[in-house]
Amino acid sequence: MMVDAIIEGIKDRVAVAIKVNQSVGIQVPENRHTDLLETLFNFMLSNPNDTWAFVTASDTYDHISKTFKEVSEHTNIKFIDCISRAAGISEFHDNCIYIESPTMLEIAGLEIMNTFQGVEDEVDKYIVIDSLSALMIYNDSEIIREFVSILMSRARSQNIHIISILMEEEVDSNKLIQMNDKIVVLRDSFIE
Amino acid sequence: MYINTKRDVRSVEEIDMINKEVCSTGIRELDFQMSGGIPLGSTVLVTGCSGSGKTTLCMQYLFNGAQNDDHGVFFTITEPLFKLTKNLEGFSFYDKKLIESGMVNIIDLRIISERLGLDAEKYTVEDAGALLDILKDIADELNVKRLVIDSITALCYRLQSREMIRDFIFKLGTSLAAMNCTTLLTSEVPPQTYKFSQYEIEEFISDGIIFLGDIERRGDLIRTLQVVKMRGIAHSRAKFAMNISAERGLELVPLLKTSDVESLLRR
Amino acid sequence: MIGESFIDTGVDKKESFINTGIEKLNRLLEGGIPNGFTTIILGSPGSGTEILVKQIAAVGNVVYITTEETKDEIIDTMKRFNWDLSKIDFVDISSKYYSNVLEGEERRVCIYEQRSKLKLKELIELGSSPGMLSTVISEEDYLAILSNKIKDVSYGEILIINSLDFFLSQYRQEDVLKTIYAAKVGNLKNKGALIIVMTKGVHGELFERKMEALADCVLELDVIQKGSSFERYLSVKKMRNYAKKIGIARYVIDDSGFVLEMIERIM
Repeated sequence: MMVDAIIEGIKDRVAVAIKVNQSVGIQVPENRHTDLLETLFNFMLSNPNDTWAFVTASDTYDHISKTFKEVSEHTNIKFIDCISRAAGISEFHDNCIYIESPTMLEIAGLEIMNTFQGVEDEVDKYIVIDSLSALMIYNDSEIIREFVSILMSRARSQNIHIISILMEEEVDSNKLIQMNDKIVVLRDSFIE
Repeated sequence: MYINTKRDVRSVEEIDMINKEVCSTGIRELDFQMSGGIPLGSTVLVTGCSGSGKTTLCMQYLFNGAQNDDHGVFFTITEPLFKLTKNLEGFSFYDKKLIESGMVNIIDLRIISERLGLDAEKYTVEDAGALLDILKDIADELNVKRLVIDSITALCYRLQSREMIRDFIFKLGTSLAAMNCTTLLTSEVPPQTYKFSQYEIEEFISDGIIFLGDIERRGDLIRTLQVVKMRGIAHSRAKFAMNISAERGLELVPLLKTSDVESLLRR
Repeated sequence: MIGESFIDTGVDKKESFINTGIEKLNRLLEGGIPNGFTTIILGSPGSGTEILVKQIAAVGNVVYITTEETKDEIIDTMKRFNWDLSKIDFVDISSKYYSNVLEGEERRVCIYEQRSKLKLKELIELGSSPGMLSTVISEEDYLAILSNKIKDVSYGEILIINSLDFFLSQYRQEDVLKTIYAAKVGNLKNKGALIIVMTKGVHGELFERKMEALADCVLELDVIQKGSSFERYLSVKKMRNYAKKIGIARYVIDDSGFVLEMIERIM
């Protein structure tokens, strides 16, 4: 019951934050990561007219699609998987674009922006980066900063919301999360 | 700082856009770097190791041109026709109708040279002259505005001296320029080298060089594209990260600056 | 016993010779060319080697491989000297070569013919249709013809190659040497005579040395200017197992052929 209450709480906070702000940084403890994803996916499914680019560097698309089956069938959500190819997984899904390596940030950026090509202006557009902490395993924090900064300015110019997920345990992440308009910090037992 | 540089170039570009006629490659970022395209009538070397995307770039250039009513011809020396067309399938820029209607012609130069008796291992001056004539005649006959030779390296191999190579490319370039035909010559170089042509002479005679290389980042090789030289226009010399999408062909995006610092430090 | 058998394999016990057709040359060689010997005739330009080999050929039982003159030219010359032609088997590489060169020229002439507008269209069509390259008409392999002929020579026959210059102009020296070495071995078995003509001083000193080392007998024909006249000398430079036969003779060529005048024995 306690857990459910927390998820409900996350949902509201996150939903409001990402609707209102152009860029949102969500800091989450490792053990709440899946809860956060569930919250985000639920939000996506309840807004079927929005367009989403979901960048995953922590979980493989295959794993996500098995855990959250409905999401993988949603055509307005494009997954950009930065981890499968580097992990030697050569699966292929129509709904997912595989990036050769999480170091190829430019290509990931390109694919993110390609997702919104031809999408009408009125449609709400979102980018989710899951997660900056995972990308930082494969890249220097400086280049991640540059990547996020460029992606943010591009997103801003096209009125795309951008949500970056960061693990609480990641110490170096402070600077990164400060780049966002709004920061949501999720704790294990309560919501700040 | 990066943005400033780009602004400077752009302001010159804007002036150039008014003065110069250009041949758009149809690859947005590439055109943007070159004032909208390659100056009309130029001979440009497209350099890179095998698998770097030279052929795809050239095909994209031809098909994009054909969409805008430019007739084009692709002379292959390395790959057989069936293989080339097979590789094209799946690209969104590829339109079979453009081949059928004769807007884009793909010709195996080996078949033609063989038929002309130009089947020697090494060409004499007369052979080279005859080949040059036939290339010009075909370009003229098909009324092409875009011509590709893939690869000039394979062709140069048959020319016996640097003088012959110089002469051949120079004559080819000038006669095609006279027809307002913009030419791409692919040039094969070994991987991981900062060298633009096999014989180191092609690069001096050509009007432009587009270099397809790569940079190393944490052990991964990221494809790059750089306009090293383009006579007659101000162009950015910035390296771009390049993606070869199985669907959209070549796509460019500015390389993240931090990686440049990294690569400089490594060197 | 062992010694005797050793000598047996070296030289024919009965010391049989092949008649050169020139009495005084036979005398200079003390009987003629020993059976199984490979002879190199090194001639300076104007020394008349082509006449010497024809005169030798007239003795019959000869396979005559000609590269410089056609069979008809040889027949004409030999008739002029009233030499017997009946027992010569000609291998006319010269005619073959010229006809191939002419064919090549004709094919080249076709380039211009094919460049007429109508043909150009056909040519474009040809190059545009995906298909296999038709088999390239390969150049004749003259060295292979030579090797094959060498294998065909029958017992005791004389094989004349006039001249090695042709093969050296078409093939690498090592390849020519290999073929000649094979010919030498074959000739040794056949107990015939292998006579090879080569122009002196044009193939490099090293190659000449190699040929001299390979040959059992080396004849050299020189033209030396003495005042206002020219004197011709034939020297026997090498004679394997017959050191005493080394000598020099002055010669003239009259309407009967080679006439050796003064014989000096050096050893």
